[in-house]
Amino acid sequence: MPERRCKEIFAMLSQFLDGELPAKDCRQLERHLRGCRPCIAYLKSLKTTVEACRRYQAPRPPAPSKQVKAAFLAAAQKAGEKR
Amino acid sequence: MNTRVEEALKGLRSGKPHDVERALETLQEIVYGFGMKVCGVREDAEDTAQETLLRLARQLKEFPDARALAVWLYKVAKSQCLMSRRKSKFAPAQMLSLDALMPKEGTAAAPATKSWEITPEEIVLNKELRRKLEDAVLALPPHYRMVLILRDMEQLDTREVAEVMGISEQTAKMRLHRARVSIRNTLAGYIQSAQRQEHA
Repeated sequence: MPERRCKEIFAMLSQFLDGELPAKDCRQLERHLRGCRPCIAYLKSLKTTVEACRRYQAPRPPAPSKQVKAAFLAAAQKAGEKR
Repeated sequence: MNTRVEEALKGLRSGKPHDVERALETLQEIVYGFGMKVCGVREDAEDTAQETLLRLARQLKEFPDARALAVWLYKVAKSQCLMSRRKSKFAPAQMLSLDALMPKEGTAAAPATKSWEITPEEIVLNKELRRKLEDAVLALPPHYRMVLILRDMEQLDTREVAEVMGISEQTAKMRLHRARVSIRNTLAGYIQSAQRQEHA
């Protein structure tokens, strides 16, 4: 992806994937992608990476501590009394 | 917006002990999950959840809606994480240069269509690839890592990310792109070397 045009396109890829690229830049990018296989390949790999991040789940947490539970129940009770 | 935060807020407002406990479990899952992604250490994630939720219990009535609660939660959790990281292996802030991240011909990061026949599901379900993804996220400088986690993993919108981080939307977009490219390049290096080994 050595060309100057590719460099400009490279900077826009995330905004393009997020649908946040201004319409004019979007048209420019789509025109470039029609003729540039390395940029198409890079966009595809970036999209896969973003999708993987979206699907990633952290390990399950331990139960909230007794201290936190007590603090929440007390706060909820206090709020209930005011109502 | 995080719909789980919305449900949790409803539960907390109902005042019924059972609903409050369920809401608390949801919030614990959100904050602990965020802590794990940012810190990568179970103890730090537990501390983050504990401190954030205790603060929340003290100011429960101050949130007009779920969006305000979500932004507050992530803001507080972010600060807690940074404090934990300072105690352990907090990395100094660095800049990621787009020029340096741009793939050069003949490098592992260079685009090779065949290498990316891999799907997002394979990345998160394959134990080694999942680990590579976690390591790549943790290797990012903290202010890039947080933006990527908030936007792509926690699925906040750009405005919410900017609000949590205290930066402009433009800066959030710039950091997000660099963080994504960095993760993509790290995974590409691994995927290509795994494929070379398969074919050897």
